[in-house]
Amino acid sequence: MEYDETELISRCQKGDQGAFKEIFDRYHKKVYRVAYGVLRQRENALDIVQEVFIKLFRSIKNFKGESRFSTYLYRMAMNTAIDHIRKTGKPFVSSLDGEEAIEPPEEPEKRPDRIFLYKELEGKVNEALRRIPADQRTAIVLREVEGLSYQEIGEAMGTSVGTVMSRLHYGRRRMQELLKDYVHQETLK
Amino acid sequence: MKESCPRFSKLLERYFDQEVTDEERSLVENHLQGCPSCQEGLKAMEGLRYLMKAPVDEADPKENFYWVWQKIERAIQQEDKLTWKESIKRWIDLTPILRKRVWVPAAAAIVILLLIITPYFYKKTPSSSEPSVVEYVESQTHNVMVYESEKGDVTVIWLLEGPAKEGGSQS
Repeated sequence: MEYDETELISRCQKGDQGAFKEIFDRYHKKVYRVAYGVLRQRENALDIVQEVFIKLFRSIKNFKGESRFSTYLYRMAMNTAIDHIRKTGKPFVSSLDGEEAIEPPEEPEKRPDRIFLYKELEGKVNEALRRIPADQRTAIVLREVEGLSYQEIGEAMGTSVGTVMSRLHYGRRRMQELLKDYVHQETLK
Repeated sequence: MKESCPRFSKLLERYFDQEVTDEERSLVENHLQGCPSCQEGLKAMEGLRYLMKAPVDEADPKENFYWVWQKIERAIQQEDKLTWKESIKRWIDLTPILRKRVWVPAAAAIVILLLIITPYFYKKTPSSSEPSVVEYVESQTHNVMVYESEKGDVTVIWLLEGPAKEGGSQS
């Protein structure tokens, strides 16, 4: 039986762990995608999922429904991922060196040179993300990875649509400069 | 960023993000047909999106979140068993302003301020209504006592006639 989101949240606020499990089932992938989008490393992204849901369990009583629950959770995920970067001081582990780097798509082919190129690209994306301000990075991840609308990004970041557009514009411009050798490559697609 | 036409630059970005009206969409699409610069700008945005999104799309279905939930479940089941010290620590962790430790100098400033102003509250205020004995003169027939307030604006003189009879005057 699928419960209405408001009812689920209300049950969670009363300490119902079954309802909380259902919240986890509905939203954990969103949190993971945002965390991966920022950190570009799967182990760290999984740690963020864990941390965010534990925080959510403690703080869900404070959720008053003034914003959408999903944007509330996106904000928590982004803040936790950015905090992780600040705490560790090693925000991005180069996928070239990391054992946890994801495998490239199996199709159309899985040649070693393509695997290398794919991992190299991930490392470059990491580097580029590290060089742009956190607010631009947040806007870009929420837009490019999660496909949120300007309005939703604004709600998640607590800012106006105009500011979101500006952050996206400057963030993209900087990222394209940093990745100018890669953004036009069609070979990986 | 590939520079598209200045007039279309921001509109092109909104078009790419599907944040345009039908009218604006038609305008951009007509323009794109004859503008290689904007076509390049659009491709660059598509390229960046691919670089950002493809690895996430790839990783997401491969993950097994079961063990993540197990860890979360264990953590939340222990919440009830927390000591009061741990509860305060958790509360501080969840409160950004406390987590940033900006409260430490603020608390220190308050303590210093209290140390400075507290003595003023405890300082004994002199009461003008309590006169102090200035002089006491004894003789065989009369005894005279003179009281004067600290400010000197009130003086009380008692004239005592022997041990049983008393009378007084005030000026």
